[in-house]
Amino acid sequence: MSTPRVETVTPTTVDDLRAAVLDRPGTIRLAGAGTAADWAGTPAPADTVLDLTGLSGIVTHNPGDMTVEVHAGTPFAQLQEELGEHHQRVAVDPARVAEGATLGGLFATADSGPRALQYGSLRDLVIGATIVLADGTVARSGGHVIKNVAGYDLTKVLHGAHGTLGVVARLVLRLHPTPQATVTVAVPCERSGSADLARRVADSPVEATAIQWHGSDQGDRLLVLVEGSESGADARARRLVDAVGGELLAPDDAGAAWEAHAASVRARPADRAVFRFGVIPSSLTGVLDGLEADTGGLTEVTTSPRTGVATVAVPADADVVAAAHRRVADAGGTSSLRQRPAGAELPAFGPAPPSAALLRAVATSLDPDQRLGRGRLAPWIPAPTGVSA
Amino acid sequence: MPERTMEAPHGGTGSDAPSAATPPAAVGPELARDFRDVLPADLVITDEVGRRSYECDGLTGFRQVPALVVLPRDAEEVAACVRICARHGVPFVARGAGTGLSGGAMPVADGVVISVQKLRRILEIDVENRRAVLEPGVYNLEISKAAQPHGLYYAPDPSSQQVCTIGGNVAENSGGAHCLKYGFTTNHVLEMEVVLADGSVVTLGGPTGEQAGPDLRGLFIGSEGTLGICTRVTVRLLQTPETVRTVLADFPSIEAAGDTVGDIVDAAIIPAAVEMMDSLSMEASEAATGAGLTVDAPAALIIELDGPADEVEAEFEHLTAICERHGATRLHVPTEAEERQKVWKGRKAAFAAVGRISPDYIVQDGVVPRTRLAEVLTRIAEMGRDAGLRVANVFHAGDGNLHPLVLYSESAGEHDAAEKLSTDIAELCVELGGSLSGEHGIGTDKACSMPVMFSSDDLGVMHRVRLAFDPDSRCNPGKLFPTPRLCGERPGKYQPHPLEEAGVIERL
Ligand SMILES: Cc1cc2nc3c(=O)[nH]c(=O)nc-3n(C[C@H](O)[C@H](O)[C@H](O)COP(=O)(O)OP(=O)(O)OC[C@H]3O[C@@H](n4cnc5c(N)ncnc54)[C@H](O)[C@@H]3O)c2cc1C
Ligand SMILES: Cc1cc2nc3c(=O)[nH]c(=O)nc-3n(C[C@H](O)[C@H](O)[C@H](O)COP(=O)(O)OP(=O)(O)OC[C@H]3O[C@@H](n4cnc5c(N)ncnc54)[C@H](O)[C@@H]3O)c2cc1C
Repeated sequence: MSTPRVETVTPTTVDDLRAAVLDRPGTIRLAGAGTAADWAGTPAPADTVLDLTGLSGIVTHNPGDMTVEVHAGTPFAQLQEELGEHHQRVAVDPARVAEGATLGGLFATADSGPRALQYGSLRDLVIGATIVLADGTVARSGGHVIKNVAGYDLTKVLHGAHGTLGVVARLVLRLHPTPQATVTVAVPCERSGSADLARRVADSPVEATAIQWHGSDQGDRLLVLVEGSESGADARARRLVDAVGGELLAPDDAGAAWEAHAASVRARPADRAVFRFGVIPSSLTGVLDGLEADTGGLTEVTTSPRTGVATVAVPADADVVAAAHRRVADAGGTSSLRQRPAGAELPAFGPAPPSAALLRAVATSLDPDQRLGRGRLAPWIPAPTGVSA
Repeated sequence: MPERTMEAPHGGTGSDAPSAATPPAAVGPELARDFRDVLPADLVITDEVGRRSYECDGLTGFRQVPALVVLPRDAEEVAACVRICARHGVPFVARGAGTGLSGGAMPVADGVVISVQKLRRILEIDVENRRAVLEPGVYNLEISKAAQPHGLYYAPDPSSQQVCTIGGNVAENSGGAHCLKYGFTTNHVLEMEVVLADGSVVTLGGPTGEQAGPDLRGLFIGSEGTLGICTRVTVRLLQTPETVRTVLADFPSIEAAGDTVGDIVDAAIIPAAVEMMDSLSMEASEAATGAGLTVDAPAALIIELDGPADEVEAEFEHLTAICERHGATRLHVPTEAEERQKVWKGRKAAFAAVGRISPDYIVQDGVVPRTRLAEVLTRIAEMGRDAGLRVANVFHAGDGNLHPLVLYSESAGEHDAAEKLSTDIAELCVELGGSLSGEHGIGTDKACSMPVMFSSDDLGVMHRVRLAFDPDSRCNPGKLFPTPRLCGERPGKYQPHPLEEAGVIERL
């Protein structure tokens, strides 16, 4: 990379983090494990990189309250492992967890996986936060209890902020019990038929935790995740097979199927960029067909027919990507660009919505000099022209 | 020009009055005339009697007659009204059904009340995509009623659901008995149309949970009408569960009931709802509803499971065994839907029913970590004894959300003591690692307690965000943030700084 030399600072406490933000003049890029380093807007060259992986570990876990407070630089997989000892989990499963993604990085990128159907994303599970602003202000919002409406839910604005607005130092999360059993049903199905099939699954009493369509070496199929008690999950999965066909996968096959799915989501195919979007579910098939035609063929396709979210790879071409954003926006949806070849200049987001003005006002109030993550939310928050802060 | 930096709260009390630079509100005949240009005359209320009926919300102790009330009929008219307020530099307060319990919809002096009660259309029930598009004045229960023929429902179910609006729910991030399993309003709203303080209209959120950029929708939900007026809401609908099983269990003590809840959690069962009532609240409720509560039992739990039939059946057996292990003295299992509703009526009518056993009462709302329920109840009982006042307890036990009802007699001069006891209880919740409010909000009522829970820096950052949305603080001013006018020069009570204290865990 031809990036000018930058200094990397690795704070290990919130105090250090605050001191680093105050001591370093100029612009700062926040880095977790680097698994989404090329997502969203291309960052402007920063004077300092704040490596948050030093701010790691559980602060406090209260199993009886089903809550945990965690430093933002904690690798998510490690957190899950520690919680697993108490038969508890954070009920999200983004694909890049396996690559070492940090809790803060997953939160900042609003990432989510197949279980979003049932549990939403981290925004739905975070109940409190400690954040550090560019001026060194340390602020808490929310708290340690699941139910809490005191004050603004400030934490939410950092969800999806991609390292702008503020640094997430700690998060308090609501936990769920780890289910006794997880069973996967695979139903062969072309993408064109996935909407109808997924609807039949949703209308059945199976209460699926995830419903995903994936085209892979194993063929095109719908994967349905059923979680619950040992006997219950199995019985429900069998009832589903009776109703819509397909088969229960053996545990190893199920693991491989979901791993292949996650691998498609986090793939970095040569000369292609990964495009993530969400539209109202009934429009998903039409938008995918349109993108297929616009781009000369999609690869690495995974879709969530019941939530309307899909991840696809398209040619790493600025015009093609811009057209893809426009198509999603025309359907009333949202889109953003993820992995892309190094150095590729591609539009990260679609046309600015009217709320972009509001977003800029919020950004100005929290980080008036745009010290943090400059360029990440461009063009919605354009990098200031002229001298750097 | 408002001076943004000067507006941030200092020393634990934030100034949230309309900025001094704003000219004094000009509530003269021109204002009413401008409203009549966009609304029929009968929807612009200027007469004293008409305005007085908007002077408070469900918290009747706080009253303020507004200068004017307007009743727009659609989103465009709401935006037009807000623009008129902006032009005149006048503050305004959005109002749904006025059932709020924190003085959130209390008008401001020389301000306008913008009621959304005429925006009552269900715009769409989208069965295929499982969502409903609503105007803000739609009553919560109407959503589930409209969805029911399609096997769908709207999950958040505040006890006031027959009479509170979805707009009010969004503003308060309302919860209900079934939020333990299904989450709160914020987990069920996908998209909103919002009129900002300057009259501009934005859409927050999107058709899916997928976000491009920061979550402004989540920030707006629970902001108590201080960031704008919501004029359209898209909510998720859920499939009606295959089975619902409910048990009403009496216990020999509050502790036994509390331990039962703990064991249910430890058994990895997530009930749809776990509600607790003490004998005083049961006495009141039974007198009012005849729901079949055992009035001389020290405590009772109402526990509901829902989901796939087989698993619910197995879990239900496990659950009743746990109740028995903790000495449950009676297990009432309603089999018919009607019978179940009767039990729930006993719970949901509890607030109002307390009026039967006490001339006056205050409904409090606080949260503690669930594992500290027994402790907080013991402390509340002691505090009540010391104050010479009775406290009835009804609460969402599964998530530690208490609703202590402080009983008193205005005519016996007990008001101030009751008020103090109630405030002390909310602040006790914070001391135990919890929150000032689980669902009723801060509003006017608890603004002065905010420094107990948040440092001045915490509040300062919230206030910076407030000014980004509403630079002149004209949108429901004086709510949520402690102001010197409201609270006096009470020094900030928040003591331990998170950094000095190596984290807030000490407070748990
Ligand atoms: C050891 C190391 C050396 C580096 N050296 C250089 C260098 O020489 N030159 C250079 O230009 N870059 C350097 N970087 C930065 C690197 O190129 C990426 O920019 C960085 O790793 C981005 O990771 P990430 O945060 O996107 O990963 P993720 O952890 O996946 O984070 C994704 C997004 O979340 C944001 N984020 C992560 N954690 C938080 C948090 N706690 N609060 C708020 N936002 C957060 C990030 O800013 C990013 O937008 C270095 C990084 C590391 C780890
Ligand atoms: C008997 C009883 C039981 C209750 N039980 C519960 C319960 O179980 N759970 C619970 O959470 N609450 C409960 N509440 C409190 C109350 O019903 C909720 O807070 C409800 O959401 C308020 O809705 P509303 O339409 O009455 O709003 P209002 O009281 O009119 O307004 C409340 C706040 O919302 C703002 N607001 C209203 N409409 C809008 C809008 N369209 N855009 C922006 N801001 C707006 C107002 O400015 C105000 O700050 C109960 C109240 C009563 C009286």
